[in-house]
Parts: sequence; structure tokens; C-alpha cells
Amino acid sequence: MRSFGTLLKNEMKLNIRNMNMVIFAVILPLVVLVILGFIYGTKPAAEGVSYTFLEQSVGALCTISICASGLMGLPLVVSEYRERKILKRFQVTPVSPAKLLAVEFTIYVLYCAVSLVTLLLASMLFWRVTIHGSLPAFLGSWLLTMVSTLSIGLMVGGIARNGKSASVIACLLYFPMLIFSGATLPLEVMPGAMQKVVSIFPLTQGIQMMKATSLGLPTGGLWGPVAVMGAVTVISMGVAVTCFKWE
Amino acid sequence: MKDENLAVRVEGLTKSYQGRTVLNGLDLAVRRGTVFGLLGANGAGKSTTIECILGTRRADSGTVAVLGRDPKKERGALFQRVGVQFQEGDYQPEIKVFELCEEIACLYNRPADWRELCRRFGIGGKLKNAVKSLSGGERQRLFIVLALIPSPELVFLDELTTGLDAKVRRDVWRILSELKGEGLTVLLTSHFMDEVEALCDEICILRQGTAVFHGTVEQARAQSGCEKFEDAYLQLSGEEDAA
Repeated sequence: MRSFGTLLKNEMKLNIRNMNMVIFAVILPLVVLVILGFIYGTKPAAEGVSYTFLEQSVGALCTISICASGLMGLPLVVSEYRERKILKRFQVTPVSPAKLLAVEFTIYVLYCAVSLVTLLLASMLFWRVTIHGSLPAFLGSWLLTMVSTLSIGLMVGGIARNGKSASVIACLLYFPMLIFSGATLPLEVMPGAMQKVVSIFPLTQGIQMMKATSLGLPTGGLWGPVAVMGAVTVISMGVAVTCFKWE
Repeated sequence: MKDENLAVRVEGLTKSYQGRTVLNGLDLAVRRGTVFGLLGANGAGKSTTIECILGTRRADSGTVAVLGRDPKKERGALFQRVGVQFQEGDYQPEIKVFELCEEIACLYNRPADWRELCRRFGIGGKLKNAVKSLSGGERQRLFIVLALIPSPELVFLDELTTGLDAKVRRDVWRILSELKGEGLTVLLTSHFMDEVEALCDEICILRQGTAVFHGTVEQARAQSGCEKFEDAYLQLSGEEDAA
């Protein structure tokens, strides 16, 4: 455990020094929130609904840091360490692949958590956003979305040959998820067959859940999404650890 | 020789890349508490040998035992007791010297005092500097320090003094001799024959993946009939023919 703490502290320092994730996972979502806040203020999301546009958007805003961390930050840092032969140096020490991956995973969990807290605080303070539904349920769906998306990133980073292929795979995952997950295009307008396909994405499930739980809307079947995201997490983490390549 | 007296035992190590044989049935035995030099021209198979011994590369055939253990199956336990300095050691882009040392030290049960090691190797004043801002020689010394942080019983040093000036090389030799006196086993590769003469108890000369000489520096001189060890090395390694 001592080594986990030291590795986490140093790797976190290096990651912050690099600034990329501070910008994409923490500052960017806040900037989007501020822009939306200035445009919509406390206006309702649509006529006759009891929640504001911002309240409807908070869940989706929280997924920006999740996407940036899980589909860009995490896979790229692990594959870069492989390409630069840093993992090869670790290979001739007693450290296990699982511990190294857990350290990097934890760093991005922290980024996502910081983004969540800053988004909620800012939107509550300045635009009187409240969680209409249940806060624990909202946090639960956030946690599940984050862990499942990050674990996909861990798998990509664990098995990609180098930084370039990791970023190609990351993009192949990132953009379809961003477009078809319901983050930009509402799920409801897609044909039925397509809805079934995109519902495998943990992000699709996550955004639907976060929206419903924060607004207090009926969640429908809760166990379906939980099962999908849980399965994605277990499979991805299993693949990441068992198929891990040092170089 | 009994196995418990051996730090490294290699038998019949064979490795080829895309049909080209890099190692051809190599046998090695490194006794505990000695300095062993693996010599040969570039491309003779030195780095491949070290990587196969460490288990970072899979040999096509042959057996390897390091401190009596299989490096592939018992990686975690073995590398508590073994230090490695790679030729192309790399590091995280923005990392500082003390952070790199701290990060390596935390992986071991009984790490050496890395501040003391840095002082001993003359980079004690550079702890807060970024690793990338160090000179080539300072970085080389840092990577020797990293290999010694585990307080190892056995250390692998690949081209240990490349890029060091004459004074610093002597300092590194002296420290390694002191550590040998404390029971450390060293397996090194080098292109500097004065270094090999000063440090190595035994050497093995590789030529296209085959051991062409095995013995002491004295024996190499005697076998080749050359007065100077460098001449003996060039003759035995076949580099002279090529030139």
C-alpha cells in the first residue's frame, strides 16, 4: 500500500504538470457550464416542465471529464509509457501490472470527481441548480458511468501497441460514443435497431440514468443499465490486466 | 559448479529474429560476488542475452536461472533482489530526479538510501532538477543509482560508463569495486577494455551470438598471444578481421 500511495502521489504530480487533463477534464466542462449559464440562466428546459435547461444538462456536462479521462487521457498515458519504455523499466522491478494500472486509473477517477464537484458547486451557487431526484441515485449512476468508461480506456491502454494505435482506437470509441450515446443526438430519434446497438455503450446508459436520477424522472428498468455497465467494467478490466503488454 | 554459488546460470540459450540467429546455444555461469563482463561488437547479441536472462524477451530455447529462480515465473520475488540499468533507459517526460528515485524506491521491501547513493555518485546536488535537464553523464550516473536502489544481490549494467568523463569513470569503478567487496554480483557489458580489465573477474566474448571466449582477462591475453588486452579482445571477437 505504501508503494501505491507514493506512485499515486508522483504520477498525479506529473499528470498535473502536463496540464492537458486539467484543461480538458476540469476547466473545459466549467467553461461549457458558464456559457450555458449565461445563455439559459434559470430558464426552464421546455414549456411546462418544472426543471431548468441547466438542470437537464448537468448530467451530460459531467460526462465531458469522463470521456476526456477514459477515452483519451488514460489510454494515451499508458500507451505512451509503453512506447517510451518506461513500462519496460517497471518490468524489471517487483511491481505488478495491476498495481500500475490501478494507480493510473485512480488519477483519472480523481479528475472526474473534481470535475463533478466543481460543476455541481458552480451550477448550484450561480444558477440555483438543484437535484430534483435522488442525490445518492445520481451519484451512483455517475460512479457507474465513470468506472465503466474508464475501464474501457484502461483496456485500450493496456493492450495497444503504441501511442498512435491507442489514439486511433480511442478516437474510434470516442466519437461514436459522443455522437450516438445520446450526449448530442437524442436517443429517442434513432431507429429501434440502432437504439439497441448504441445501448451497449456504457455512456448511453450512463447519460440516460444520470438525467433521470437528477431530474427525478422515472428511471424505467434500472437493472438493465447496471448490468450492461457492470459487465463492461468487469470484462474490460479483466482484459486490461490479463493481456497487459510491457512493451 | 554448484548452483547455490551461481548468481546466473544460462544453458543452451537460442534466439532468432525473423530467421536470423542472434543467439546460438549460449552457456553462461556467473559466480556470486564477482564482476562478469559480457563483451562483443554491436549486434553480437549482448543486449538480447541480458533481456533473455531478465525475462523481458522470450528465448526460443534454453534455460535461465537467476539467483536460482525462473525470471519469468517468479518475477515479483526475484526483482526484489536484482537491479537493472538498461542501455536505453527512459523516464517520464517531466519527472525530477528525487521523484524518479522515490518512485523506484517505493517498489522495494528494503530499498537503499537513494539520497546517499546520489551523493556517492556525485549527483546529490541535482535532486530537484528535471531528469531531462541533466547532462548525459549525470543521467547515466542516475540510472546506475536507480539500478542500485533495490540494495540488490545482483545488478545488470548495460554499457555502464558510456558518456562519462575519465574522472567519473574511475569514481564509478571504485564504487562498484567497493560494492563487490560487500558481496554484490555484477553482470556488465562494455566497449571499454580498460574498464573490463579494471573490473571484471571473468569475461565472455560473443561473436554473432556464439561465445568464442570464456575465462579471465589473463587467459584471454594468453590464448590470443597479445600483450594488450584490447588487442586480445579484437582478435578473439573477430572485429579485427572485419576491419
